[in-house]
Amino acid sequence: MRTRASAQLVGPVLRALPRRALGAGAAAGLVLAALPRLLSTHPDPWMALLLLRGAALAFALGLTFLLDDPARHVTAAVPTRRMVRGALRTALVAPFAALWWTAAVLLIPAQVRPPVGDITLEAAAAAVVALAASATAIRLTEEAEPGQRVAITLLATSMAAALLLPQHWGLFATPKEKWWSPGHQHWALILAGAAVVWAACGPEPIRRRGFFATRSAKISPSTG
Amino acid sequence: MSAVLEKAPPAERTEGERRSWAAVFALARFEARELLLRAPVLFMFVLYAAWIGWSMRDAWTTYPALQDVDRLTQNGPLLPALAVLLCANQAVLRSRRQDTDRHFDVLVLEPWRRTVAFALSVLPAVALTALFVAAQFTWGVLAPGSVGHGSVGELLVGPLTVLLAGSAGVLLARVVRSAFAAPMLLVLAFFSILFLGAVPGNSDGSATRWLVPVIGDASTKTLPSDLLGRPAAWHALYLAGLALTLALAAVLVNGGRTKTVAAALVVAVGLGTWGAVGQAGKVPAATVAARLVATVNPAKVQPCARHGHSTYCAFPEWMPRTGTWAKVTDNVQSLAGGTAAQEKLLVRQRVDARYGMDGDGAIEPSTVPYQVTVGTRWGGPRVPEFAAAVSSVLVTGSEKATSSLCDGRMVTIMWLALAWQSDPLAELRTVRLDDSVTGSAIVLSPTNPMSMTSEQTTVVRELFTAGKSAIAPKVKAHWAELTAPKVTTAKVAQLLGVKAPTGADKCE
Repeated sequence: MRTRASAQLVGPVLRALPRRALGAGAAAGLVLAALPRLLSTHPDPWMALLLLRGAALAFALGLTFLLDDPARHVTAAVPTRRMVRGALRTALVAPFAALWWTAAVLLIPAQVRPPVGDITLEAAAAAVVALAASATAIRLTEEAEPGQRVAITLLATSMAAALLLPQHWGLFATPKEKWWSPGHQHWALILAGAAVVWAACGPEPIRRRGFFATRSAKISPSTG
Repeated sequence: MSAVLEKAPPAERTEGERRSWAAVFALARFEARELLLRAPVLFMFVLYAAWIGWSMRDAWTTYPALQDVDRLTQNGPLLPALAVLLCANQAVLRSRRQDTDRHFDVLVLEPWRRTVAFALSVLPAVALTALFVAAQFTWGVLAPGSVGHGSVGELLVGPLTVLLAGSAGVLLARVVRSAFAAPMLLVLAFFSILFLGAVPGNSDGSATRWLVPVIGDASTKTLPSDLLGRPAAWHALYLAGLALTLALAAVLVNGGRTKTVAAALVVAVGLGTWGAVGQAGKVPAATVAARLVATVNPAKVQPCARHGHSTYCAFPEWMPRTGTWAKVTDNVQSLAGGTAAQEKLLVRQRVDARYGMDGDGAIEPSTVPYQVTVGTRWGGPRVPEFAAAVSSVLVTGSEKATSSLCDGRMVTIMWLALAWQSDPLAELRTVRLDDSVTGSAIVLSPTNPMSMTSEQTTVVRELFTAGKSAIAPKVKAHWAELTAPKVTTAKVAQLLGVKAPTGADKCE
């Protein structure tokens, strides 16, 4: 029964996807990854790593809009739980994301490409952090479209983290540095932690008007 | 509503005009408050304050030059600029996001006046950044031993970057009305600029290099402020023109097609272009000539001062520091014996300014007898480096004679240079290139480095352990033998009464 309901949901969910935001993120990421080939220069490995990280960040920013649902206050009442709908959205985007990441990695010339497994871990962690952040925003506020707010927070946080986090954490290390492998253990931890937060924030809140209710929530139609 | 109609005679155009400007300022005030209280902006300003504290943490001990401190203030404001861009953009899009756009149609305020208000709402954030920049610079000015002059053009870059970011955010919201445009474009711009900046081949005199807000330097040395040759004022003009252009373009695309706006836009574009052209110019010939003179023949431009036996010549901005140098020279000289203790030294400040801030050049050791070179920086390792230069000149007679030095005199040089310090061993660590106190190492000095063998290091360490009062009389008594060329390290150790090393002197 439930699977049939989910199957019926595929069409509407696909239509409701924020395709423009996702597409913009993917396009920005591809442009960044294509820069070394477009300009036919001899990029150094550090630059390639930086561009791939930029691409991952751009796509993660696109993903922060994934759970935006303008009709949120209406769909709260439908029998299919929000967790299912959110999971369905993610599942629909996942193959596209995998394809996109493959393309981005392949766009970087092979001789300067950073270790693919490790950089994929970073990109996956960034994506899951983005999803967890938007799920948290939806869980804790009544905003229907927190995407932009979350995107700004994610961008500011990542820039500040790159600037401020101690070097020995290795989150933004280069492959030759000794912090590369502990750094990727930290990335794995971030991935796991974000996944837990994401799962915890999946269900629709039972009580409304939470702690973090924003001003926009107060004027939104659902409170009436 | 009716009250408004009664009070306002609709025929009077100037009255309505004035009132809509009052509304613009009211909206600008409100939006400015909203902007400053947004979490990302607050967070970034807090981060910026922390960054200032961190980057200026050792200003008190490093004798900053103000022409460096002004450029140090430029990177930090990028943090609030990022947040201001995103939040200003989001503020303009707020009415669209909450679907209140159509309510504005009934208001007296035209959309383009609303845009003016949004552009104005960035100004308090700019003023706050200016305050932070001023605080950071003042910190540098108050630091003991600071020298030189700051440049207003360089100091303006920080606040103007925030203004530019705010205007860009407003324009972006008026051109692309989607919520995701600003973060995406920012990421795209940030990483492409990083990438394009790292592509080699556009280093010297490139016009495009100055188009980004903050321009770093290839070199980290300190130069006299008149030799920097950075078009700071032009760059500030360029940034201001660009920020104004973006803000006015936002007003224009929003329907503000009045003559005033068009005229102001033309002026702003003109200012920006003027600045861009000005900053793209080559370094002025006068500056190039002055750099050459300062490098090759500094005596022409340096005043001199006398402290004790010795004379100190420095670029005018460094004259207040000659007293500090004199203390070190006197301390080193007081430990020397023979004629060296009374020798009249000439301490001359030298720097390779030929390449400006685009490259570094080594300073050749001076061939003039009893002339010592001092650099433009001071504090930390620069102090023992200068002390080593003084002692090497006292022992060998000139800087040039030191460069091929490979015998026991090195022990005397290092002991003279460091024994007067409160913790000679710690100073020995800082003056050696690899921060070690055992084994052989390179010893830094303002000109060519010297080298210490591992035996010499051992003897010097033992001399420090024996204490200054025990060794000083022996140095004075045996001065002639200690400073004779080809004296072995073993002989020096024996003369000074410490255990002689077994190995022979072998220089690398």
